[in-house]
Amino acid sequence: MIKRILRHETILALLTVIVLAILAYQSDKFFTVDNLLNQGRLMTEVGLVAVIMTFVIVTGGIDLSVGSIVGLTAILTGVFWKSLGLPLPLAAFAAIACGTFGGFMNGVIITRFKVPPLIATLATLALYRGLAEGISQARSVRGYPESFYVLGQGNMLGVPTQLWLLIITAIVAGVVLGYTRWGRTVYAIGSNEVAARFSGLPVDRAKLAVYTASGFAAAVAGVILVSRVSTTRSDMGTGLELDAITAVVLGGTSIFGGRGTVIGTLLGLILIQALKNGLSLAGIKGDGTIVLIGVVLILTILISNIVHRDGNR
Amino acid sequence: MPETVQPFVSLTGATKTFGGITVLKAVDFDVRPGEVHALLGENGAGKSTLIKIISGLYVPDGGTIRIGGETVTLSSTRDASRRGIATVYQELLLFPEMTIAENIFLGNYPKTAWGGIDWPEARRRARALLDSLDSPELDIDRKVASLSVAQRQRVEIAKALSRDARVLIMDEPTASLAEADVQRLMEVVRALRQRGVGIIYVSHRMPEIFALADRVTVLRDGELIGTRDIGEVTEATLVAMMVGRSIDQLFPKPEPIIGETLLEVENLVSGKLVKGLSFSVRKGEILGIAGLVGSGRTETALTLFGITPAESGRIRIAGKEVTIRSPREARDLGIAYVPEDRGLQGLVKSMTIRQNVSMASIDRLSRGIFIRFAEEAARAVNAVKRFGIRARAGIEQPVGQLSGGNQQKVVIAKWLETAPRILILDEPTRGVDVGAKSEIHAIMGELARTGVAIIMISSELPEVLGMSDRVLVMNNGHLVSIIDRADANAESVGAAMTVAKKSKDAA
Repeated sequence: MIKRILRHETILALLTVIVLAILAYQSDKFFTVDNLLNQGRLMTEVGLVAVIMTFVIVTGGIDLSVGSIVGLTAILTGVFWKSLGLPLPLAAFAAIACGTFGGFMNGVIITRFKVPPLIATLATLALYRGLAEGISQARSVRGYPESFYVLGQGNMLGVPTQLWLLIITAIVAGVVLGYTRWGRTVYAIGSNEVAARFSGLPVDRAKLAVYTASGFAAAVAGVILVSRVSTTRSDMGTGLELDAITAVVLGGTSIFGGRGTVIGTLLGLILIQALKNGLSLAGIKGDGTIVLIGVVLILTILISNIVHRDGNR
Repeated sequence: MPETVQPFVSLTGATKTFGGITVLKAVDFDVRPGEVHALLGENGAGKSTLIKIISGLYVPDGGTIRIGGETVTLSSTRDASRRGIATVYQELLLFPEMTIAENIFLGNYPKTAWGGIDWPEARRRARALLDSLDSPELDIDRKVASLSVAQRQRVEIAKALSRDARVLIMDEPTASLAEADVQRLMEVVRALRQRGVGIIYVSHRMPEIFALADRVTVLRDGELIGTRDIGEVTEATLVAMMVGRSIDQLFPKPEPIIGETLLEVENLVSGKLVKGLSFSVRKGEILGIAGLVGSGRTETALTLFGITPAESGRIRIAGKEVTIRSPREARDLGIAYVPEDRGLQGLVKSMTIRQNVSMASIDRLSRGIFIRFAEEAARAVNAVKRFGIRARAGIEQPVGQLSGGNQQKVVIAKWLETAPRILILDEPTRGVDVGAKSEIHAIMGELARTGVAIIMISSELPEVLGMSDRVLVMNNGHLVSIIDRADANAESVGAAMTVAKKSKDAA
């Protein structure tokens, strides 16, 4: 099984290298340290969400509400700070706590009331976005203090601040998924939830934890997004769930659960971001890029399926 | 069978290799019209591969296939079906949301002159087919989803006949049937034989084979051991052919060492099928639970294991009152449950032997949250050795690729890793071949001698009688009686089950 996963990742890594090479050849602005670091900055919000989304999808679930949680957290950060007059760090933490609670509620709906994750999070996608719009009253919040921009626009040791966060998150997530009993539980749930329960694994607790973590990642992404674009609007993060899911699936995680790795997801993220950036540098319009990403997704999955079939027996 | 009958299908020197491992070595096999040819062998002996070659699913690497005297290559199941070979699979492949008639003719509808589907004709023929299978009670417009397993099986057979099958392959057709349905299926098989259909019949159940088969072929480790007329063999010779040694004792039960009472259950109530049960099990004892299907045996186990927690009543373990609300709590109290449905409840089939063996004990196998992989692998290797689990790729083989008996050993190994005090086994040898079966019985006897209290649910009366120190008979959620080993025999236990049945009907 490990061999098979590696195989998908190897294919993806190769593909990523090829794409990077082509893009570098197409435009001399692409393969520069500045540009690459900047792309890393742009990738972080989706990246944080996608890394945790990997866990969600490996359990056989899905979390569609993450984009709305990003929006809700962004709005709450602004409201807590500007309207309630909390100090900005405290406002951000409070907003993250609320976003995390949103994820926790997803988990409760899914584990307690046995609502399928797709439906539960489709409902909270609407609910959380509605809350964000209601709270913001269509007003945006601006004028954050300079110090707040360190998170979204600043650098640490020459690397964008938030990229450090993504790197650390990815390492921790990769270790948890691959090397701990929690990760093993996540895989077992995705492969056969009934057998996992019959083996005494803490199925409901694990699912609750995974959806809560997903809410937390989305909330952190929301605060980073505010800091990066210097403003809050209620429609922030719209469609982000699909970008995250695309990266996860491109990374080889089975949408039916039981299979997937964090490394795969990271490769998926890098490939998508490189395509977006490289193609726009090469002068291709946005809709062309989306079409190409769709094609790459289908091709990768096809190739991987063919290889798996050969590897199987 | 007269010798002059030409076989309809014959295989000569059939060989099949997967990834360098030969799973079928130069096997000769044939089926004559109007005979039941039983195919026997332990799991992993190559029966499935042989069947799949005949049904066109696998193309053999060597050897020839002749159908009706003509040498052919079968490159797909469609190919085989066109030549009159049909298969009734273990997992029935019907569409639950379609009606019986639609299922029977799916992909093979009778056509009108205009090229559309001739529904009146399809319905008429579906009716006729089911009537010929002695199933007038099946309404052809019923959805398949509402049918029992036995009924679905008859629909599958009707489907095969609708395509003029000359050879019908039945892969463990009675594995999931109740006794009455088995009888009925055997009638159907006999009727098919009368019509001149050749039947390849795969089963582990000896009584069926002796009741039905004209000839028997035994495979072992991919090799043909022999084909015999049924009159030439006895159960003992067949078993010896299958396992390659003679099994001297069918139920190897060592003298029990029975200790103090470990589990006490008082007035246990849960759901509709556990209605005020009281019993106890002692250390080193094997308590057999007998009863008809739906008598509440499995439900009792699920209650003790915390899947469906008790609504009222007391459970005491070693004298201490406990509550069990989840399998996790049950495990921590030293209760292990080897479930009835191995594929769904017992194993994560896509995961490896190593990962399955460690699944119930992963907390102990971890340092903090980190899995100790070396320890995990060592334990899995140990389990494979101790239980004789046969796996080509060792502990990294996904358990879904193992045979039924080996899968069951993995489930048992998984639970023994938790060092349980109370082991509940639900149909421990269902779908398991003869060799593995006696090995599992030996493991049970051994465990009991180390002081584990064992509760064994089984629908096989010989197994219950052979292994149990006491037999608890259940019916309709009630305890009927507890019979000591000395007094337990087919009559006393059977009587307890039937008497209860009558009283239930009267109530």
